[in-house]
Amino acid sequence: MATSASPLPGGQRPNIPSAAVRFPAVRSYEQVDNEIAGTLRPTLGWFAALGIAILCLLVGAATWTYQIHEGLGAAGYQPPVMWGVYIITFVFWVGIGHAGTLISAILYLFRAGFRTSIYRVSEAMTVFAVMTAGLFPILHLGRPWKFFYLIPYPNWRLIWPNPKSPLVWDVFAILTYLTISSTFLYIGLIPDIAILRDREKNPVRKSILSMLALGWRNSDREWRHFTRAYLFLAAFATPLVLSVHSVVSFDFAMALTPGWHATIFPPYFVAGAIFSGIGMVFTIAIPLRKAFKLQHYITLNDIDAAAKLCLFTSMVVGLAYLTEFQIAWVSGNKFEQDYFWNRVFGQWAWAAWIMLICNCVLPLSLFSQKLRRNTTWLFILSLFINLGMWFERFVIVVPSLSHEFEPWQWGSYRPTWVDYGILLGSFGWFFMWFLLFIKQLPVMAMMEIKEVVPPRFKHGHTDPHDLTADQIDPDQMGVAH
Amino acid sequence: MQGVLGAFHELDSAIHAIEDLKKAKLGDITVFTPTPRHEFDHVLEHAPSKVRIYTLVMGLAGVTFGYWIPVWISDYWPLVVGGKAIATWVPFTILGFEVMVLIGGLSTVFAMFGFSHIPRLTMTVGYDPRFSSGHFGVWVETAPEQADAAIELLKKHGAEEVRRER
Repeated sequence: MATSASPLPGGQRPNIPSAAVRFPAVRSYEQVDNEIAGTLRPTLGWFAALGIAILCLLVGAATWTYQIHEGLGAAGYQPPVMWGVYIITFVFWVGIGHAGTLISAILYLFRAGFRTSIYRVSEAMTVFAVMTAGLFPILHLGRPWKFFYLIPYPNWRLIWPNPKSPLVWDVFAILTYLTISSTFLYIGLIPDIAILRDREKNPVRKSILSMLALGWRNSDREWRHFTRAYLFLAAFATPLVLSVHSVVSFDFAMALTPGWHATIFPPYFVAGAIFSGIGMVFTIAIPLRKAFKLQHYITLNDIDAAAKLCLFTSMVVGLAYLTEFQIAWVSGNKFEQDYFWNRVFGQWAWAAWIMLICNCVLPLSLFSQKLRRNTTWLFILSLFINLGMWFERFVIVVPSLSHEFEPWQWGSYRPTWVDYGILLGSFGWFFMWFLLFIKQLPVMAMMEIKEVVPPRFKHGHTDPHDLTADQIDPDQMGVAH
Repeated sequence: MQGVLGAFHELDSAIHAIEDLKKAKLGDITVFTPTPRHEFDHVLEHAPSKVRIYTLVMGLAGVTFGYWIPVWISDYWPLVVGGKAIATWVPFTILGFEVMVLIGGLSTVFAMFGFSHIPRLTMTVGYDPRFSSGHFGVWVETAPEQADAAIELLKKHGAEEVRRER
């Protein structure tokens, strides 16, 4: 990219990834406010999308009502497969949430510039994905209104949950993750809500925004404590990402079932979660970028960098798949070997091959820079990744339970319309919240974008190594597309 | 609370105005900026935020509490499995870690609220909506007899607007 910039006087090498040229087509703080706040106006397309999401949610709600009336047998569970679509979808949604925290917290600690334009979307995605995931353990209960039994609190029953059970670890992990992710999202939003508050003319909306902004005034005192608190929250959220999906993986790894009882599960699950989350970020951010005309904020360079991350995590996931087979091979354990053979060449081969093609083969296309910068291909690929990662969880859950140690334990599993209805409802629930979010609050962190937009100087910017926005061709920075 | 408020469009003008205000010792200075800028940190020379102390102390309290919950539960309702210890620290580390993050994270936020004096019911004097958009604000809390000197100084450095507030 350096060659695309006009040379500086004296033949100095231009410092391309500097603050001055991160968003070359963004010239002022006011432009940031106007363009990003401008995305909040509802459009016909948004109403249509929201309508579809609510419809899907209603289908899910009606299906759940039917299941509560008829009992869990209405879903396709029968011995030996007593975990199916609900647990698969639970793990799927928890995983989706992970990329959000990776982008917002981990990449923040690493000072990765490309996160700036996509982290708000990713963070919101995390919160709504974990909200969706949290529904599934409840949906899976015969008496869902008793879900609070898993929380340790003094009660008249004088009984307590078993703290050695992975299901109790799950409760702690998911609730902590939801709380910290929501807090992280909200704290980052406060300065942006203050911007909206100061621009708002409608008195009702203004008073709501004033309450949400908590009286934020952009003073040096507030920023000093804000930046420090944000850093520490990011530092807490980082190991939390690793711990939550590790804990989810313990739901499986703590069992003696073939295919599950493996020490590779925690890193394998974390890598898969981040991979699937990046897929969902593309699924969401690419249409948003086009619909809101934000190509000069979410630049092709940013997308290119995220695509490289996607390729890397895909390869980690691929390595984890191979390691699973290798462990089964060298273990000498007949049941493990039989299970893994059955996974790719037996009863569930079709699911395993969907998983392998979507997660390991198709992402290899991202070795091509041309495809990494092709948003249409990335969007299509992201749909395949979403599909592949749902099937990864299917391949983990169903083949293991249907093919345990003894032949008399073997069986099959076929989801019913109840499973599909609730799966559809989960997508409706997720997208309903997401669509409501993008029209009420900014989809990009205006405050952080302003950090990398050069401020106005009376006497000019003095760093000779920084290019100003006028000195660089926006087309070459991946802006125009 | 009374003083003078200056609104600047350029960052360097605001910085130079603050430097001169500090030299003139006209009163406490508060800066309003649409986004955190390290230039203001350098010129204002404030001590680092004490939020970190709350993060550390409450994080340690959280991990202690997080271990205590399962230890107490196990002791209250012992489930003896294969002669293993009733209070086993390895699985309880998960709960210890999660509660540490939960309490440490939330305490960090509440400490930030406390130190920043938010939530605030009113915007108080010395704020302008422009400061959340593209302008930098410099508020000098000064006595009426020194206000003219502060106004002159802010104008000299190119403040777009200067006004007295109380």
